[in-house]
Amino acid sequence: MSTTRSVGILATRSVRTIQRLPSAFFPALAMPIFNMVVFAGTFFAVTKIPNFPTDRSINWYMPLGIMMGSAFGGVGLGFTTIRDIQTGFYDRLRMAPTSRISLILGPLVGTLVRIALMTTLVIVIGIALGVRFTGGVLGVLCLYVSALGIATMGAGWGLGLAFKFKDMRGAAIMQLSIFLVMFLSSAQVPLDVMSGWLHAVARVNPATNILRLARVGLVNEANADHLSWNSVWGGVVAIVVMCALSLVFALRNLRKLSN
Amino acid sequence: MNSAPIIAEQLARHFGEVKAVDGINLTVNQGEIFGFLGPNGAGKSTAVRMLTTLLRPTSGTARVAGFDVVKQADEVRRNIGVALQDSAIDPLMTGFELLELQAVLYGIPSNKMKQRAEDLLERVGLTAAADRRVSTYSGGMRRRLDLALSLIHAPVVLFLDEPTTGLDPMSRLTLWEEVRRLNREGTTVMLTTQYLEEADQLADRIAIIDHGRIVREGKPSDLKRTVGDPTLLINVSRQHSDAAKAVLARFGDMRPTAEGTLGVGLKGGAERVAEVVRALDEAKIVVEHLELNQPSLDDVFAEATGHRLEGADNAPQAG
Repeated sequence: MSTTRSVGILATRSVRTIQRLPSAFFPALAMPIFNMVVFAGTFFAVTKIPNFPTDRSINWYMPLGIMMGSAFGGVGLGFTTIRDIQTGFYDRLRMAPTSRISLILGPLVGTLVRIALMTTLVIVIGIALGVRFTGGVLGVLCLYVSALGIATMGAGWGLGLAFKFKDMRGAAIMQLSIFLVMFLSSAQVPLDVMSGWLHAVARVNPATNILRLARVGLVNEANADHLSWNSVWGGVVAIVVMCALSLVFALRNLRKLSN
Repeated sequence: MNSAPIIAEQLARHFGEVKAVDGINLTVNQGEIFGFLGPNGAGKSTAVRMLTTLLRPTSGTARVAGFDVVKQADEVRRNIGVALQDSAIDPLMTGFELLELQAVLYGIPSNKMKQRAEDLLERVGLTAAADRRVSTYSGGMRRRLDLALSLIHAPVVLFLDEPTTGLDPMSRLTLWEEVRRLNREGTTVMLTTQYLEEADQLADRIAIIDHGRIVREGKPSDLKRTVGDPTLLINVSRQHSDAAKAVLARFGDMRPTAEGTLGVGLKGGAERVAEVVRALDEAKIVVEHLELNQPSLDDVFAEATGHRLEGADNAPQAG
Protein backbone atom coordinates (compact mmCIF):
# COMPACT_ATOMS: atom_id res chain seq x y z
CA MET A 1 0.00 0.00 0.00
CA SER A 2 2.75 2.39 0.99
CA THR A 3 4.71 1.61 -2.17
CA THR A 4 1.61 2.15 -4.32
CA ARG A 5 0.95 5.54 -2.71
CA SER A 6 4.59 6.53 -3.16
CA VAL A 7 4.49 5.51 -6.83
CA GLY A 8 1.29 7.52 -7.27
CA ILE A 9 2.58 10.71 -5.69
CA LEU A 10 5.90 10.57 -7.56
CA ALA A 11 4.08 9.93 -10.83
CA THR A 12 1.82 12.90 -10.08
CA ARG A 13 4.85 15.11 -9.55
CA SER A 14 6.21 14.03 -12.93
CA VAL A 15 2.93 14.58 -14.80
CA ARG A 16 2.34 17.92 -13.10
CA THR A 17 5.40 19.36 -14.83
CA ILE A 18 3.52 19.12 -18.16
CA GLN A 19 1.20 21.82 -16.88
CA ARG A 20 3.80 23.74 -14.90
CA LEU A 21 6.54 23.69 -17.52
CA PRO A 22 4.84 23.14 -20.89
CA SER A 23 7.91 24.49 -22.71
CA ALA A 24 9.79 21.39 -21.58
CA PHE A 25 7.04 19.06 -22.85
CA PHE A 26 6.51 20.78 -26.18
CA PRO A 27 9.70 19.48 -27.90
CA ALA A 28 8.79 15.94 -26.81
CA LEU A 29 5.49 16.38 -28.69
CA ALA A 30 6.87 18.25 -31.66
CA MET A 31 9.83 16.01 -32.49
CA PRO A 32 7.89 12.80 -33.26
CA ILE A 33 5.43 14.76 -35.42
CA PHE A 34 8.30 16.48 -37.18
CA ASN A 35 10.14 13.18 -37.73
CA MET A 36 7.01 11.50 -39.06
CA VAL A 37 6.20 14.28 -41.50
CA VAL A 38 9.77 14.89 -42.67
CA PHE A 39 10.74 11.22 -43.08
CA ALA A 40 7.48 10.31 -44.80
CA GLY A 41 7.77 13.28 -47.14
CA THR A 42 11.48 12.95 -47.92
CA PHE A 43 11.59 9.19 -48.29
CA PHE A 44 8.17 8.65 -49.89
CA ALA A 45 9.85 6.66 -52.70
CA VAL A 46 11.00 4.00 -50.23
CA THR A 47 7.69 2.24 -50.83
CA LYS A 48 8.76 1.57 -54.43
CA ILE A 49 11.33 -0.98 -53.19
CA PRO A 50 10.05 -4.41 -54.28
CA ASN A 51 8.13 -6.19 -51.49
CA PHE A 52 8.24 -3.09 -49.26
CA PRO A 53 5.85 -3.87 -46.39
CA THR A 54 3.51 -0.94 -47.04
CA ASP A 55 2.51 1.28 -49.92
CA ARG A 56 2.22 4.39 -47.71
CA SER A 57 5.42 5.97 -46.48
CA ILE A 58 3.60 7.59 -43.56
CA ASN A 59 2.50 4.11 -42.40
CA TRP A 60 6.20 3.21 -42.21
CA TYR A 61 7.50 6.40 -40.63
CA MET A 62 4.77 7.22 -38.11
CA PRO A 63 5.82 4.29 -35.86
CA LEU A 64 9.45 5.40 -36.21
CA GLY A 65 8.55 8.93 -35.10
CA ILE A 66 6.64 7.54 -32.13
CA MET A 67 9.40 5.10 -31.19
CA MET A 68 12.11 7.75 -31.36
CA GLY A 69 9.95 10.13 -29.33
CA SER A 70 9.30 7.38 -26.79
CA ALA A 71 12.93 6.34 -26.49
CA PHE A 72 14.09 9.94 -26.01
CA GLY A 73 11.15 10.61 -23.71
CA GLY A 74 12.25 7.62 -21.64
CA VAL A 75 15.87 8.69 -21.30
CA GLY A 76 14.56 12.18 -20.58
CA LEU A 77 13.74 10.82 -17.13
CA GLY A 78 17.48 10.41 -16.70
CA PHE A 79 17.97 14.12 -17.48
CA THR A 80 15.39 15.24 -14.92
CA THR A 81 16.86 12.86 -12.37
CA ILE A 82 20.34 14.33 -12.90
CA ARG A 83 18.78 17.72 -12.19
CA ASP A 84 17.15 16.37 -9.03
CA ILE A 85 20.44 14.84 -7.91
CA GLN A 86 22.34 18.05 -8.52
CA THR A 87 19.82 20.26 -6.74
CA GLY A 88 19.74 17.85 -3.81
CA PHE A 89 16.04 17.05 -4.25
CA TYR A 90 16.88 13.41 -4.86
CA ASP A 91 18.53 13.24 -1.43
CA ARG A 92 15.14 14.11 0.02
CA LEU A 93 13.59 11.18 -1.83
CA ARG A 94 16.39 8.81 -0.84
CA MET A 95 16.07 9.75 2.81
CA ALA A 96 12.42 8.73 2.86
CA PRO A 97 11.65 5.28 4.30
CA THR A 98 9.83 4.22 1.17
CA SER A 99 10.89 1.29 -0.98
CA ARG A 100 13.68 1.99 -3.47
CA ILE A 101 11.57 0.42 -6.22
CA SER A 102 8.94 3.12 -5.75
CA LEU A 103 11.60 5.77 -6.41
CA ILE A 104 12.07 4.12 -9.82
CA LEU A 105 8.47 3.22 -10.63
CA GLY A 106 6.89 6.53 -9.60
CA PRO A 107 8.74 8.75 -12.07
CA LEU A 108 8.55 5.93 -14.63
CA VAL A 109 4.75 5.86 -14.47
CA GLY A 110 4.72 9.64 -14.89
CA THR A 111 6.95 9.31 -17.93
CA LEU A 112 4.70 6.62 -19.44
CA VAL A 113 1.68 8.90 -19.07
CA ARG A 114 3.53 11.56 -21.04
CA ILE A 115 4.54 9.01 -23.68
CA ALA A 116 0.94 7.79 -23.99
CA LEU A 117 -0.21 11.39 -24.54
CA MET A 118 2.45 11.93 -27.18
CA THR A 119 1.63 8.64 -28.93
CA THR A 120 -2.07 9.48 -29.05
CA LEU A 121 -1.41 12.90 -30.53
CA VAL A 122 0.96 11.54 -33.19
CA ILE A 123 -1.53 8.81 -34.14
CA VAL A 124 -4.33 11.36 -34.51
CA ILE A 125 -2.16 13.61 -36.68
CA GLY A 126 -0.88 10.56 -38.58
CA ILE A 127 -4.44 9.46 -39.38
CA ALA A 128 -5.23 12.98 -40.54
CA LEU A 129 -2.22 12.78 -42.88
CA GLY A 130 -3.23 9.43 -44.35
CA VAL A 131 -2.11 6.67 -41.99
CA ARG A 132 -4.23 3.53 -42.41
CA PHE A 133 -4.30 0.97 -39.59
CA THR A 134 -4.44 -2.38 -41.41
CA GLY A 135 -4.36 -4.26 -38.12
CA GLY A 136 -7.33 -2.50 -36.51
CA VAL A 137 -7.52 -2.01 -32.75
CA LEU A 138 -4.97 -4.77 -32.09
CA GLY A 139 -2.53 -2.98 -34.36
CA VAL A 140 -3.04 0.26 -32.43
CA LEU A 141 -2.52 -1.68 -29.19
CA CYS A 142 0.76 -3.11 -30.47
CA LEU A 143 1.96 0.39 -31.31
CA TYR A 144 1.17 1.59 -27.77
CA VAL A 145 2.86 -1.48 -26.22
CA SER A 146 5.97 -0.82 -28.31
CA ALA A 147 6.03 2.88 -27.47
CA LEU A 148 5.58 2.31 -23.74
CA GLY A 149 8.04 -0.59 -23.84
CA ILE A 150 10.82 1.33 -25.50
CA ALA A 151 10.14 4.30 -23.21
CA THR A 152 10.53 2.01 -20.19
CA MET A 153 13.81 0.70 -21.58
CA GLY A 154 15.02 4.25 -22.17
CA ALA A 155 13.88 5.33 -18.71
CA GLY A 156 15.68 2.45 -16.97
CA TRP A 157 18.81 3.13 -18.97
CA GLY A 158 18.60 6.89 -18.35
CA LEU A 159 17.99 6.45 -14.62
CA GLY A 160 20.85 3.98 -14.29
CA LEU A 161 23.24 6.37 -16.03
CA ALA A 162 21.97 9.31 -13.97
CA PHE A 163 22.63 7.40 -10.73
CA LYS A 164 26.01 6.22 -11.98
CA PHE A 165 27.41 9.56 -13.19
CA LYS A 166 25.25 12.01 -11.19
CA ASP A 167 26.02 14.74 -13.76
CA MET A 168 25.77 15.62 -17.44
CA ARG A 169 28.35 13.00 -18.44
CA GLY A 170 25.47 10.55 -18.15
CA ALA A 171 23.28 12.70 -20.39
CA ALA A 172 25.71 12.52 -23.31
CA ILE A 173 25.81 8.72 -23.13
CA MET A 174 22.01 8.58 -22.92
CA GLN A 175 21.52 10.50 -26.16
CA LEU A 176 24.27 8.78 -28.10
CA SER A 177 23.16 5.30 -27.12
CA ILE A 178 19.55 5.96 -28.14
CA PHE A 179 20.65 7.27 -31.54
CA LEU A 180 22.81 4.22 -32.10
CA VAL A 181 20.16 1.74 -31.01
CA MET A 182 17.46 3.36 -33.12
CA PHE A 183 19.43 3.90 -36.30
CA LEU A 184 21.29 0.57 -36.24
CA SER A 185 17.92 -1.16 -36.58
CA SER A 186 15.17 -1.49 -39.18
CA ALA A 187 14.17 2.10 -38.43
CA GLN A 188 14.50 3.33 -42.02
CA VAL A 189 14.14 0.23 -44.17
CA PRO A 190 13.13 -3.41 -43.64
CA LEU A 191 15.78 -5.87 -42.52
CA ASP A 192 15.86 -7.75 -45.84
CA VAL A 193 16.80 -4.58 -47.73
CA MET A 194 19.95 -4.10 -45.62
CA SER A 195 23.25 -5.82 -46.27
CA GLY A 196 26.72 -6.25 -44.75
CA TRP A 197 27.55 -5.24 -41.18
CA LEU A 198 24.46 -3.05 -40.87
CA HIS A 199 22.23 -6.05 -41.54
CA ALA A 200 24.15 -8.15 -39.01
CA VAL A 201 23.87 -5.48 -36.32
CA ALA A 202 20.22 -4.67 -37.05
CA ARG A 203 19.30 -8.36 -36.93
CA VAL A 204 20.46 -8.74 -33.32
CA ASN A 205 19.39 -5.27 -32.23
CA PRO A 206 16.31 -5.64 -29.99
CA ALA A 207 15.00 -2.34 -31.40
CA THR A 208 14.43 -4.11 -34.72
CA ASN A 209 11.98 -6.53 -33.13
CA ILE A 210 10.28 -3.76 -31.20
CA LEU A 211 9.90 -1.64 -34.36
CA ARG A 212 8.48 -4.68 -36.10
CA LEU A 213 5.91 -4.98 -33.31
CA ALA A 214 5.11 -1.27 -33.62
CA ARG A 215 4.42 -1.69 -37.34
CA VAL A 216 2.43 -4.95 -37.34
CA GLY A 217 -0.83 -3.04 -37.56
CA LEU A 218 0.36 -0.70 -40.29
CA VAL A 219 1.95 -2.94 -42.95
CA ASN A 220 0.00 -4.46 -45.83
CA GLU A 221 -2.24 -7.38 -44.88
CA ALA A 222 -0.36 -9.66 -47.28
CA ASN A 223 3.05 -8.92 -45.77
CA ALA A 224 4.74 -11.47 -43.53
CA ASP A 225 5.12 -8.78 -40.86
CA HIS A 226 1.37 -8.15 -40.67
CA LEU A 227 -0.36 -8.78 -37.35
CA SER A 228 0.11 -12.41 -36.33
CA TRP A 229 1.65 -14.25 -33.41
CA ASN A 230 4.76 -14.86 -35.53
CA SER A 231 5.31 -11.15 -36.14
CA VAL A 232 4.51 -10.14 -32.57
CA TRP A 233 6.31 -12.48 -30.18
CA GLY A 234 9.85 -11.31 -30.97
CA GLY A 235 8.97 -7.74 -30.06
CA VAL A 236 7.17 -8.75 -26.89
CA VAL A 237 10.14 -10.83 -25.73
CA ALA A 238 12.56 -8.01 -26.60
CA ILE A 239 10.48 -5.54 -24.59
CA VAL A 240 10.15 -7.80 -21.55
CA VAL A 241 13.84 -8.72 -21.47
CA MET A 242 15.18 -5.24 -22.20
CA CYS A 243 12.80 -3.55 -19.75
CA ALA A 244 13.80 -6.02 -17.03
CA LEU A 245 17.51 -5.49 -17.71
CA SER A 246 17.27 -1.71 -17.83
CA LEU A 247 15.19 -1.49 -14.64
CA VAL A 248 17.60 -3.80 -12.80
CA PHE A 249 20.44 -1.56 -14.05
CA ALA A 250 18.59 1.47 -12.64
CA LEU A 251 17.83 -0.18 -9.30
CA ARG A 252 21.40 -1.44 -8.83
CA ASN A 253 22.84 2.00 -9.50
CA LEU A 254 20.27 3.63 -7.22
CA ARG A 255 21.42 1.37 -4.40
CA LYS A 256 25.04 2.26 -5.20
CA LEU A 257 24.35 5.99 -4.84
CA SER A 258 25.28 5.73 -1.16
CA ASN A 259 28.68 4.18 -1.92
CA MET B 1 23.96 -0.53 26.02
CA ASN B 2 24.18 3.21 25.32
CA SER B 3 20.71 4.52 24.37
CA ALA B 4 21.81 7.96 23.15
CA PRO B 5 20.01 8.94 19.92
CA ILE B 6 23.25 9.46 17.99
CA ILE B 7 26.35 7.39 18.54
CA ALA B 8 29.28 7.25 16.13
CA GLU B 9 32.33 5.09 16.72
CA GLN B 10 35.44 5.51 14.62
CA LEU B 11 33.21 6.69 11.80
CA ALA B 12 35.23 7.39 8.66
CA ARG B 13 34.60 8.24 5.05
CA HIS B 14 37.39 8.42 2.52
CA PHE B 15 37.12 9.58 -1.09
CA GLY B 16 40.20 8.02 -2.62
CA GLU B 17 43.15 9.53 -0.78
CA VAL B 18 41.02 12.25 0.82
CA LYS B 19 39.93 11.48 4.38
CA ALA B 20 36.77 13.61 4.52
CA VAL B 21 35.85 12.14 7.91
CA ASP B 22 38.70 10.43 9.67
CA GLY B 23 37.42 8.19 12.45
CA ILE B 24 35.20 10.34 14.62
CA ASN B 25 33.61 9.32 17.91
CA LEU B 26 30.45 11.13 18.84
CA THR B 27 27.60 10.81 21.30
CA VAL B 28 24.57 13.08 21.22
CA ASN B 29 22.33 12.70 24.26
CA GLN B 30 18.56 12.62 24.39
CA GLY B 31 17.04 16.11 24.27
CA GLU B 32 20.25 17.91 23.39
CA ILE B 33 20.96 20.49 20.75
CA PHE B 34 24.36 19.38 19.56
CA GLY B 35 26.40 21.75 17.45
CA PHE B 36 28.85 20.45 14.90
CA LEU B 37 31.15 23.33 14.14
CA GLY B 38 33.79 23.63 11.49
CA PRO B 39 34.86 25.47 8.37
CA ASN B 40 33.79 24.55 4.84
CA GLY B 41 35.29 21.22 3.86
CA ALA B 42 35.98 20.16 7.44
CA GLY B 43 33.81 17.06 7.14
CA LYS B 44 30.58 18.22 8.80
CA SER B 45 28.26 17.53 5.90
CA THR B 46 29.95 14.22 5.08
CA ALA B 47 29.44 13.11 8.67
CA VAL B 48 25.78 14.16 8.53
CA ARG B 49 25.28 12.35 5.23
CA MET B 50 26.57 9.15 6.84
CA LEU B 51 24.37 9.59 9.90
CA THR B 52 21.32 10.19 7.70
CA THR B 53 21.94 7.07 5.53
CA LEU B 54 22.82 9.03 2.38
CA LEU B 55 26.43 7.88 2.37
CA ARG B 56 27.99 4.61 3.45
CA PRO B 57 30.89 4.90 5.89
CA THR B 58 34.25 3.60 4.72
CA SER B 59 34.74 2.21 8.22
CA GLY B 60 33.36 2.54 11.71
CA THR B 61 29.78 2.35 12.90
CA ALA B 62 26.97 4.71 13.74
CA ARG B 63 23.61 4.25 15.40
CA VAL B 64 20.86 6.82 15.09
CA ALA B 65 17.64 6.55 17.10
CA GLY B 66 18.88 3.13 18.19
CA PHE B 67 19.40 1.73 14.67
CA ASP B 68 22.49 1.00 12.65
CA VAL B 69 22.80 3.48 9.77
CA VAL B 70 23.95 0.80 7.32
CA LYS B 71 22.13 -2.36 8.37
CA GLN B 72 18.86 -0.71 9.48
CA ALA B 73 18.77 2.27 7.16
CA ASP B 74 14.98 2.25 6.74
CA GLU B 75 14.42 2.29 10.51
CA VAL B 76 16.83 5.20 10.83
CA ARG B 77 14.97 7.06 8.06
CA ARG B 78 11.64 6.54 9.81
CA ASN B 79 12.97 8.22 12.95
CA ILE B 80 14.93 11.17 11.66
CA GLY B 81 14.11 14.46 10.05
CA VAL B 82 16.70 16.14 7.88
CA ALA B 83 17.02 19.63 6.47
CA LEU B 84 20.07 19.58 4.28
CA GLN B 85 22.32 22.44 3.21
CA ASP B 86 20.86 24.36 0.23
CA SER B 87 17.24 23.48 0.92
CA ALA B 88 16.53 20.90 -1.75
CA ILE B 89 13.06 21.82 -2.92
CA ASP B 90 11.41 21.42 -6.31
CA PRO B 91 10.68 24.99 -7.41
CA LEU B 92 7.78 23.89 -9.62
CA MET B 93 5.81 22.52 -6.67
CA THR B 94 3.84 24.47 -4.10
CA GLY B 95 4.61 24.33 -0.40
CA PHE B 96 1.49 22.25 0.25
CA GLU B 97 2.29 19.82 -2.58
CA LEU B 98 5.77 19.26 -1.20
CA LEU B 99 4.39 18.53 2.26
CA GLU B 100 1.87 16.15 0.69
CA LEU B 101 4.68 14.37 -1.19
CA GLN B 102 6.77 14.10 1.94
CA ALA B 103 3.79 12.82 3.95
CA VAL B 104 3.08 10.04 1.47
CA LEU B 105 6.73 8.99 1.29
CA TYR B 106 6.80 8.77 5.10
CA GLY B 107 3.61 6.72 5.19
CA ILE B 108 1.34 9.28 6.89
CA PRO B 109 -2.25 8.04 6.44
CA SER B 110 -4.32 10.01 3.90
CA ASN B 111 -6.90 11.08 6.48
CA LYS B 112 -4.23 12.74 8.65
CA MET B 113 -2.10 14.16 5.88
CA LYS B 114 -3.96 17.41 5.19
CA GLN B 115 -4.26 18.38 8.84
CA ARG B 116 -0.60 17.62 9.51
CA ALA B 117 0.50 19.68 6.50
CA GLU B 118 -1.70 22.60 7.55
CA ASP B 119 -0.40 22.48 11.12
CA LEU B 120 3.19 22.55 9.96
CA LEU B 121 2.58 25.36 7.49
CA GLU B 122 1.03 27.38 10.28
CA ARG B 123 3.89 26.55 12.60
CA VAL B 124 6.50 27.90 10.19
CA GLY B 125 4.36 30.84 9.13
CA LEU B 126 3.71 29.75 5.56
CA THR B 127 -0.06 29.23 5.57
CA ALA B 128 -0.65 32.18 3.26
CA ALA B 129 2.03 30.96 0.84
CA ALA B 130 0.99 27.30 0.90
CA ASP B 131 -0.44 27.27 -2.62
CA ARG B 132 2.29 29.34 -4.20
CA ARG B 133 5.07 27.71 -6.17
CA VAL B 134 8.29 27.46 -4.19
CA SER B 135 10.13 29.35 -6.93
CA THR B 136 8.39 32.48 -5.61
CA TYR B 137 9.59 31.94 -2.01
CA SER B 138 12.39 33.94 -0.42
CA GLY B 139 15.46 32.16 0.98
CA GLY B 140 14.05 32.36 4.51
CA MET B 141 10.69 30.95 3.41
CA ARG B 142 12.43 28.04 1.69
CA ARG B 143 14.38 27.23 4.84
CA ARG B 144 11.21 27.30 6.91
CA LEU B 145 9.46 25.05 4.43
CA ASP B 146 12.47 22.75 4.48
CA LEU B 147 12.15 22.59 8.27
CA ALA B 148 8.43 21.84 8.01
CA LEU B 149 9.16 19.05 5.53
CA SER B 150 11.67 17.50 7.88
CA LEU B 151 9.06 17.48 10.67
CA ILE B 152 6.19 15.85 8.75
CA HIS B 153 6.55 12.51 10.55
CA ALA B 154 7.40 13.98 13.99
CA PRO B 155 10.98 12.65 14.04
CA VAL B 156 12.78 11.93 17.31
CA VAL B 157 16.09 13.19 15.93
CA LEU B 158 16.42 16.24 13.71
CA PHE B 159 19.48 16.97 11.58
CA LEU B 160 19.93 20.55 10.43
CA ASP B 161 22.82 21.01 8.04
CA GLU B 162 23.84 24.68 7.99
CA PRO B 163 20.22 25.77 8.29
CA THR B 164 20.87 29.51 8.31
CA THR B 165 23.62 29.86 5.73
CA GLY B 166 22.76 32.77 3.47
CA LEU B 167 19.82 33.97 5.56
CA ASP B 168 19.30 37.53 6.72
CA PRO B 169 19.51 38.20 10.49
CA MET B 170 15.72 38.25 11.01
CA SER B 171 15.23 34.93 9.25
CA ARG B 172 18.07 33.45 11.28
CA LEU B 173 16.45 34.54 14.54
CA THR B 174 13.10 33.07 13.49
CA LEU B 175 14.72 29.76 12.63
CA TRP B 176 16.71 29.68 15.86
CA GLU B 177 13.54 30.25 17.84
CA GLU B 178 11.83 27.39 16.03
CA VAL B 179 14.77 25.08 16.69
CA ARG B 180 14.64 25.95 20.39
CA ARG B 181 10.90 25.32 20.44
CA LEU B 182 11.31 21.91 18.82
CA ASN B 183 14.01 21.04 21.29
CA ARG B 184 11.82 22.07 24.23
CA GLU B 185 9.18 19.69 22.87
CA GLY B 186 11.69 16.83 23.16
CA THR B 187 13.36 16.60 19.74
CA THR B 188 17.07 15.90 19.80
CA VAL B 189 18.77 18.25 17.34
CA MET B 190 22.09 17.89 15.61
CA LEU B 191 23.05 21.13 13.99
CA THR B 192 26.02 21.71 11.72
CA THR B 193 27.18 25.25 11.29
CA GLN B 194 30.15 27.37 10.36
CA TYR B 195 28.74 30.25 12.37
CA LEU B 196 30.26 30.54 15.84
CA GLU B 197 27.43 32.65 17.13
CA GLU B 198 24.88 30.08 16.02
CA ALA B 199 26.65 27.28 17.85
CA ASP B 200 27.12 29.49 20.90
CA GLN B 201 23.47 30.56 20.99
CA LEU B 202 21.81 27.24 20.29
CA ALA B 203 23.96 24.31 21.25
CA ASP B 204 24.04 22.60 24.63
CA ARG B 205 27.25 20.91 23.54
CA ILE B 206 29.44 21.28 20.51
CA ALA B 207 32.09 19.35 18.66
CA ILE B 208 34.67 21.19 16.58
CA ILE B 209 35.70 19.32 13.46
CA ASP B 210 38.72 20.16 11.35
CA HIS B 211 40.21 18.11 8.52
CA GLY B 212 37.84 15.27 9.29
CA ARG B 213 38.76 14.96 12.95
CA ILE B 214 37.00 16.15 16.07
CA VAL B 215 39.49 18.41 17.81
CA ARG B 216 37.37 19.64 20.74
CA GLU B 217 34.07 18.60 22.28
CA GLY B 218 32.10 19.92 25.21
CA LYS B 219 29.77 22.65 26.47
CA PRO B 220 30.53 26.04 24.83
CA SER B 221 31.09 27.66 28.25
CA ASP B 222 33.51 24.92 29.33
CA LEU B 223 35.41 25.09 26.07
CA LYS B 224 35.76 28.85 26.26
CA ARG B 225 37.02 28.53 29.81
CA THR B 226 39.82 26.25 28.64
CA VAL B 227 41.17 29.01 26.42
CA GLY B 228 41.53 31.20 29.51
CA ASP B 229 42.87 34.67 28.77
CA PRO B 230 41.06 37.19 26.59
CA THR B 231 42.57 38.01 23.20
CA LEU B 232 44.01 41.46 22.58
CA LEU B 233 43.89 42.26 18.87
CA ILE B 234 45.82 45.15 17.35
CA ASN B 235 46.39 46.49 13.88
CA VAL B 236 49.64 48.31 13.11
CA SER B 237 51.26 49.41 9.89
CA ARG B 238 53.26 46.78 8.05
CA GLN B 239 56.69 48.24 8.96
CA HIS B 240 55.85 48.04 12.69
CA SER B 241 54.52 44.51 12.54
CA ASP B 242 57.64 42.68 13.78
CA ALA B 243 58.34 45.19 16.53
CA ALA B 244 54.72 45.05 17.69
CA LYS B 245 54.85 41.27 17.75
CA ALA B 246 57.93 41.40 19.98
CA VAL B 247 56.17 43.77 22.37
CA LEU B 248 52.97 41.75 22.52
CA ALA B 249 54.85 38.52 23.14
CA ARG B 250 55.92 39.94 26.52
CA PHE B 251 52.27 39.92 27.65
CA GLY B 252 51.24 36.39 26.69
CA ASP B 253 51.15 33.77 23.94
CA MET B 254 50.60 34.98 20.38
CA ARG B 255 47.36 33.71 18.88
CA PRO B 256 46.39 32.99 15.28
CA THR B 257 44.49 35.88 13.71
CA ALA B 258 43.31 37.12 10.37
CA GLU B 259 46.04 38.50 8.12
CA GLY B 260 47.13 42.05 9.05
CA THR B 261 46.06 41.66 12.68
CA LEU B 262 48.18 40.63 15.65
CA GLY B 263 46.67 38.83 18.62
CA VAL B 264 47.93 37.89 22.04
CA GLY B 265 46.32 35.91 24.84
CA LEU B 266 46.55 38.65 27.43
CA LYS B 267 47.72 37.18 30.75
CA GLY B 268 46.06 39.07 33.58
CA GLY B 269 43.11 40.15 31.43
CA ALA B 270 41.71 43.64 30.78
CA GLU B 271 43.70 45.27 33.61
CA ARG B 272 46.88 44.99 31.58
CA VAL B 273 45.61 46.72 28.43
CA ALA B 274 46.99 50.10 29.54
CA GLU B 275 50.35 48.48 30.18
CA VAL B 276 50.40 47.06 26.63
CA VAL B 277 49.48 50.42 25.14
CA ARG B 278 52.32 52.11 27.08
CA ALA B 279 54.80 49.48 25.91
CA LEU B 280 53.74 49.94 22.28
CA ASP B 281 53.98 53.69 22.68
CA GLU B 282 57.47 53.47 24.15
CA ALA B 283 58.50 51.35 21.15
CA LYS B 284 57.19 54.17 18.88
CA ILE B 285 54.60 51.88 17.35
CA VAL B 286 51.48 53.57 16.01
CA VAL B 287 48.41 51.47 16.78
CA GLU B 288 45.67 51.80 14.18
CA HIS B 289 43.09 49.67 15.95
CA LEU B 290 42.88 47.84 19.25
CA GLU B 291 40.23 45.57 20.75
CA LEU B 292 39.96 43.13 23.60
CA ASN B 293 37.86 40.03 23.03
CA GLN B 294 36.71 37.73 25.77
CA PRO B 295 37.37 34.06 24.91
CA SER B 296 35.04 32.93 22.15
CA LEU B 297 34.42 29.72 20.31
CA ASP B 298 36.65 31.15 17.61
CA ASP B 299 39.47 31.26 20.18
CA VAL B 300 38.66 27.67 21.09
CA PHE B 301 38.79 26.80 17.42
CA ALA B 302 42.04 28.69 16.88
CA GLU B 303 43.62 27.15 19.93
CA ALA B 304 42.61 23.66 18.79
CA THR B 305 43.50 23.96 15.11
CA GLY B 306 46.08 26.72 14.82
CA HIS B 307 43.86 28.79 12.52
CA ARG B 308 40.72 30.87 12.72
CA LEU B 309 37.39 29.56 11.52
CA GLU B 310 37.15 30.62 7.90
CA GLY B 311 34.24 32.96 7.29
CA ALA B 312 33.45 33.32 10.98
CA ASP B 313 33.91 37.07 10.80
CA ASN B 314 31.52 37.25 7.89
CA ALA B 315 28.62 35.60 9.64
CA PRO B 316 25.58 37.85 9.65
CA GLN B 317 24.97 39.19 13.13
CA ALA B 318 21.66 38.38 14.72
CA GLY B 319 20.69 40.29 17.79
